[in-house]
Amino acid sequence: MGSIALIAPELVVLATAVLVLFADVFARGRERAAAWIGVAGLVAAAALALFGGRGTVALFGGQLAVDGMALFARVATTLLAAVFLLWVAGAGLKRGSVREFSSLVLFATLGGMLMVSARDWVVLLLALETATMPAYVLMGFDRKDDRSLEGAMKYFLLSMVASLLFLYGMSFVIGMSGTTLLAKSHLEPGPAGLIAAVFVCAGLLAKLSAAPFQWWSPDAYAGAPAASVAFVSAVPKITGVVAFARVVQYLAPQAEGLWIVLVVGAIASMLVGNLAAYPQQDLRRLMAYSGVAHVGYLLVGLAAGARPIAGATAAGAHAGLTAAVFYSLAYAVPSMAVMLVAAEEGDRLDDFKGLASRRPAAAWLLVLFIVSLVGIPPLAGFAGKFYLFGAAIGSGLTWLALIAVLMSVVSAGFYFRIIHAMFFAEPVKTASAAAPGRPAALALAACALAVLAIGIAASPLLAALGFALP
Amino acid sequence: MSNLLTWITFLPLIGAVVVSVLPKGRPQYAKWVAAAFAAVDLGLTGWLIAGFDRARGGAMQFAVDVPWVPQAAIRYHLGVDGISITMLALAALLGLLAVVGSWKVTDRPKTYFVMLLLLQVGMNGVFMALDFVLFYVFWELVLVPMFFLIGMWGGARREYASIKFFIYTLAGSVFMLVGILALYLAPNSGTFDMLALAKLGQAGVFRDIEGWVFLLFFLGFAVKVPIWPLHTWLPDAHVEAPTAASVLLAGILLKMGAYGFIRISLPILPHAARAWAPWIALLAVISIIYGAAVAFAQTDLKKLVAYSSVSHMGFVMLGIAAMNPEGLNGAVAAMFSHGVVTGMLFFIVGMVYERTHTRQIADLSGLSAAAPVTGGLLAFASFASLGLPGLSGFVGEFLSLLGAWRASTGTSPLFWSGLVVIAAVGVLFAAAYMLWMVLRVVLGRPSEAVRSVTDASGREIGVLLPLIALTLIVGIWWGSLLGFVDPAVKALLAATGAA
Repeated sequence: MGSIALIAPELVVLATAVLVLFADVFARGRERAAAWIGVAGLVAAAALALFGGRGTVALFGGQLAVDGMALFARVATTLLAAVFLLWVAGAGLKRGSVREFSSLVLFATLGGMLMVSARDWVVLLLALETATMPAYVLMGFDRKDDRSLEGAMKYFLLSMVASLLFLYGMSFVIGMSGTTLLAKSHLEPGPAGLIAAVFVCAGLLAKLSAAPFQWWSPDAYAGAPAASVAFVSAVPKITGVVAFARVVQYLAPQAEGLWIVLVVGAIASMLVGNLAAYPQQDLRRLMAYSGVAHVGYLLVGLAAGARPIAGATAAGAHAGLTAAVFYSLAYAVPSMAVMLVAAEEGDRLDDFKGLASRRPAAAWLLVLFIVSLVGIPPLAGFAGKFYLFGAAIGSGLTWLALIAVLMSVVSAGFYFRIIHAMFFAEPVKTASAAAPGRPAALALAACALAVLAIGIAASPLLAALGFALP
Repeated sequence: MSNLLTWITFLPLIGAVVVSVLPKGRPQYAKWVAAAFAAVDLGLTGWLIAGFDRARGGAMQFAVDVPWVPQAAIRYHLGVDGISITMLALAALLGLLAVVGSWKVTDRPKTYFVMLLLLQVGMNGVFMALDFVLFYVFWELVLVPMFFLIGMWGGARREYASIKFFIYTLAGSVFMLVGILALYLAPNSGTFDMLALAKLGQAGVFRDIEGWVFLLFFLGFAVKVPIWPLHTWLPDAHVEAPTAASVLLAGILLKMGAYGFIRISLPILPHAARAWAPWIALLAVISIIYGAAVAFAQTDLKKLVAYSSVSHMGFVMLGIAAMNPEGLNGAVAAMFSHGVVTGMLFFIVGMVYERTHTRQIADLSGLSAAAPVTGGLLAFASFASLGLPGLSGFVGEFLSLLGAWRASTGTSPLFWSGLVVIAAVGVLFAAAYMLWMVLRVVLGRPSEAVRSVTDASGREIGVLLPLIALTLIVGIWWGSLLGFVDPAVKALLAATGAA
């Protein structure tokens, strides 16, 4: 019974996904009903995950287990996906069927939920694929648009390469340890073990679109519908980071020097992301590079978690990993919200010109999200960066934290181009395309509330993660 | 009563929320609601001052201390001593005057007053926060409203000035953030409590990291003060900002930087502070001379006032660097006086600009002939600014110089006495550029632009009256201000072992 209770949220999401897929059977003619069913299922799943507690799912021989990180990530992703579908229910889609779209979102969420609970290499890989497979379709959802298909194709190809890198490294690890259980991973000392760990991490870096594997994401995002980008660019990052943190947790103590790979990834991502975002005129490309930059910050935390330091406690390493997971949420909420507004208003920066006079409420909410992404207190982005850099300095990576804070200042420059467009520039068009429905406004308000709450009342979230600043 | 500080801090936030939900059709309500909240806030601050025990001015009073984020030992810790209560009073007063002084803002008034009230939250909080993270939150909180105030209601180059202000000060403060974390993570530390950190710092816990952490804090504070050569955002921001924002920028935001040195750098990193003091004093004197010299060359009245701020804040920093009771008393007195006097100057410049649509000194001659009250007020504020004895500006500058002179009895007498001599020349400069400005603007034959101006209205005089009164009271009765400041300064220095 305990096992069932632990995986009940996954079962609910799975059932909802299937139900949504066939929604036109019982809700004929009401396209958006599917999204509402999705919202209900996801909220129920979130509640079950929240109160279902932690433990090992005995049913699958310990291949699934729920710890603090998994609990946090399951609740966070289901709620975020629910908010996303709430927006879809209100605003609808420009092209394509809401029913298929919602179902894909649910399947992707399911994959993410399994990913964070996975305690076995094979389950981890399967969950990773379950989570990304629907994303390919979401990115190419605009079937009639060549650019959307091109973007989806690029995403698909690189994602496959990433999976293969991961699989290759994983096969080494399994071979060395003689078991597929994560906790029993054993790396041979010396280069072989390190190579295995580096391959695994390279695969995950590419999945998260970290530099130097970032080049697919701007092209893929720029072709895709903005609504798809809102989901794909933000929500799966949470679960991806948890998986990454878990891999680091098990492999880093045995792979000396792995932290250097993560540090290089962090620096490269922060530099490439923040600098390449400057000239972008398409908001999807801008947010793609911003996403690369934020993955860079996340990697600062993972690097801190991977770095062995003399006299360090397990708690110290744990701080880096949990801070990265916390940051992934602090990034995902405002980032998704910005893209949702883009899905309403238009993809180009020019479409935002004069938004402050057209839709002042939306413009001020966007200010809140952008300011949070820059990292101004007391919002989510600040809290996230604070704990992240705290963990980094605690692991002796003060210089890396200095680079990261400087890059946050650099990021203010391109984020403020959005604010500039909304408030200071002359409007290009005079009216918004169509007033999005009330549920869409509610979804944005929920995001704003979350950005405030994560920043001001971080304590319960950190407690759930087991974070403690050393 | 124990929640008084919380109320003072967050009442403007409630005000901002109320203003933002006011009905759309009645924009004129916004200023009344904003003024009401700012007035109650000032009233509460007055009540706080009445209840403040000056004899125990060195201790933190009215403290609130509850856990905020226990996982990182962050606390919600507020308290005031004689130094912070002085700054808080200034912030609450200028906050209200800024609202009343913006009575004629008709462009998006709701948003404007929401921004002013949000700004007030940060300004109040920063002078009360005793937890370092909380301090940082308030410190950064002022950036966003100020950005919009400059960017949406500013002058011709407002977009450039607002983003420059934002990026510059943000860049400075993120260094401070790293410093805050470094102090927490230092061995045997593990606290963000500023009072506890000061005790640890004085015990030498931060000896190994003190030097570079001091540098990180220096970058954060020095940009805000601003100290030459980190001042370049100031002329742009001050000149482009709308009047009320200029008043608050000069009156309060610059003080935050100096307050940071006094509340944080000196007590928490006393050894590094002593080691760096001569360099800070040198930069302070350069700021004094540089600001004065550049003010001389200005043809724009507002720019002249802006650069005079650089010069005046140099005196503040010189007093702080002296690290003795005279110097620190002088620094706080100069901070207070500069807030009052420069606030007054910016208000008057705003009044003049509103009527003549020019700030060019050359176009404004003969102001007192056309508008005797305005001209007289400008002359009075200018005298206060140049440090005329009997007015508030003199107290701070005199004590700062005295403090620096006293410091010359220490290790490097020649260096310090040399600085005092150069700084004294700066006083002379200030007199010169101010008097020359008065000569050209207030006196003379009325120019085309000022010939038909109306004189100051009752509301405008009402805004300036409290500032004039404070200038006189503090200038004549030093104890009215120093009675609060002195015990706090002595306690602070005694703890650092420098008194």
